[in-house]
Amino acid sequence: MKDDISLSCRDLERFLGEEEERVHALRGVSLNVEAGSLHAVVGPSGCGKSTLLYILGLLDVPDAGSVEIGSTLIAGLSDEELARRRNQLIGFIFQFHFLMEDFTAQENVMIPMRRLGQLNDEAMSSRAADLLKAVGLGDKIRRQSRHLSGGEQQRVAIARALANDPQVILADEPTGNLDTNNSQRAFELLSNIVRARDKALLLVTHNRFIADACDWVHEMKDGRIVTSHPHGQRILVS
Amino acid sequence: MTAPLYIALRFATHRKRALLLSLVGVIFGVGIFICTQAQTQGFAQFFINSTIGSNGALVLKSRFQPRYEELVVPTKNVSALPARRNYFEGIHNVSEIMRVSRQFSNVVACSPVLRGNVSARSGFETTTVELFGIDPASHLRTTDLAKQIIDGKFDDFTNNTTAVILGYRLADQLEVGCGDSIQLLSPGGEYWRFIVGAIARSGVGAIDATRVYAHTRVAQRLLKKSYQASMIIYKLRDPDRAPALAAHFETLFQHTSQSWQEREESTLQLFIMLRLSVAITVSLMILLAGFGIFNVLTMSVLSKVREIAILRSMGYRQVDISAIFLWQGVLIATVGSLIGCFLGALLTWIVSKVPIHIRGLLYTNHFLVVWDWRHYFWATVLAGIAVFIASYVPAKRAALLQPVDTLRGSSF
Ligand SMILES: Nc1ncnc2c1ncn2[C@@H]1O[C@H](COP(=O)(O)OP(=O)(O)OP(=O)(O)O)[C@@H](O)[C@H]1O
Ligand SMILES: [Mg+2]
Repeated sequence: MKDDISLSCRDLERFLGEEEERVHALRGVSLNVEAGSLHAVVGPSGCGKSTLLYILGLLDVPDAGSVEIGSTLIAGLSDEELARRRNQLIGFIFQFHFLMEDFTAQENVMIPMRRLGQLNDEAMSSRAADLLKAVGLGDKIRRQSRHLSGGEQQRVAIARALANDPQVILADEPTGNLDTNNSQRAFELLSNIVRARDKALLLVTHNRFIADACDWVHEMKDGRIVTSHPHGQRILVS
Repeated sequence: MTAPLYIALRFATHRKRALLLSLVGVIFGVGIFICTQAQTQGFAQFFINSTIGSNGALVLKSRFQPRYEELVVPTKNVSALPARRNYFEGIHNVSEIMRVSRQFSNVVACSPVLRGNVSARSGFETTTVELFGIDPASHLRTTDLAKQIIDGKFDDFTNNTTAVILGYRLADQLEVGCGDSIQLLSPGGEYWRFIVGAIARSGVGAIDATRVYAHTRVAQRLLKKSYQASMIIYKLRDPDRAPALAAHFETLFQHTSQSWQEREESTLQLFIMLRLSVAITVSLMILLAGFGIFNVLTMSVLSKVREIAILRSMGYRQVDISAIFLWQGVLIATVGSLIGCFLGALLTWIVSKVPIHIRGLLYTNHFLVVWDWRHYFWATVLAGIAVFIASYVPAKRAALLQPVDTLRGSSF
């Protein structure tokens, strides 16, 4: 395990909702994710896993605490700055793949690249094709994403998360919507890529086999991380 | 191509039908705006050209003297304000004034006219006419009279001092043609006989129904005037600057002087009101098209909530999201006003071929139109503003959507 930390947070606090419906969704969450490692977050529904992920992914702002990506502190940035960092440093994968339906697989993968704007059209297409080949979709790059199977769509989402070569990949139940075979396949793909390319992966999952295959498992309850264990040593509480 | 533009194009091709419908709204709005402006201004322009062509862009009239009455201490309480000026009929130093005024760069030509109202008769018909005593050569240079001749020859008038030119409606009324004779009643009470040398049609109904042109010297004798001209009419290089020149002439020559804008004020106001009311009506159409676009884009934003959340999570800024929907508006506005301009030109051309029988204020046999790039410009600007307003609100709303709400919502 390497020591350089790609993603970390300290004492995150987050309140959600207004007035009476106000929920203390995160109550002081701290964790470190090193490059080349896989971290799983598990816990019962509503314990704040997604909330944590959105804050780490700079889609949401904590009410207290701090987030560091690489070694830069993210605090008090404008929408513009946050968006730029999301684009360059973070790749997201969601449960319901969230692809652009009318776009082909290749075009979907190119969307983050277009925002980054560092490559020309040709370079973008070939990079997208390479990424899709890496997830085993080399023969379907021109297919509209709505005409892909669930497992294939999730693989497109994985390729898209890697589009701008981010340091950090955040996944919210990436296999939650897939059958066992496809879950296994998608996870293996993800873990291979993360290790091979030295990314930091934080994934939320309900699947104990997947959690057990990660380097670290963080167990959350009521907005707190109650235990963190290195791989394989987790005792199921729920 | 910027990322928002690319995505805007992709989104646009997706909702083809709705987009096409709002596009049609813009196209028709722009097209009809152009066509109606071309018509209303066409009639106004025709009237202006005709009145300038017959009566000049500027007219110099009676001499005046300030009365300096305010210096006199009134003996009694007088309620009515005393007249500011004393007026003297006729222009006595015609050649001097003409010589000086020709020095002005805006003056192309000028012509002295002796004007008077007399009674005319032919056979059993009698009517009051406006007699214009003119010098054929200088009047030719100053007005469009030669072009207005529809029967006979201008030279037949020039070479014959007993000949007159009649407005065509007057000729109809008196039931005379070229070569016939008419009689004009002098203030002394005797009838003078003239030959109709030519018949003219200015296009302005009021002129064509009353105007009789005669030679200055003959007119002077008929009207028993001591002076040769009661007014000088001017042809100007830039008729739009007539009011300023009129004001200048008034102080310079101490003669009342009137621009065509002042002279035709009431008619011009009528035209302007007509144009304005049509413009407002058509602008409402464009506004309506704007509402359509507002609807389409609002629906588009609602149906793209997921996509917006994805884009935001992948690093698209709020301004990028706004831009996607504003671009769609820009596309509609651009394509819409471009096609709209073509449609406008086509409609204008078709309308100009429509036969119409007008014999009142104006004389025309078909719709009058003007081709003016400003109509196209303003139609485009109007469409641009309407579309911008229509797309701004949905675009803003799209930008303010919180991706987290969408992402969380669909994972339950
Ligand atoms: N907009 C909101 N207003 C009020 N409460 C909210 C809001 N969004 C989420 N919550 C609450 O915050 C808590 C944490 O939600 P979060 O989505 O992070 O849970 P989770 O661990 O991801 O659950 P799941 O496993 O079901 O996805 C929940 O109790 C939820 O009801
Ligand atoms: Mg969740």
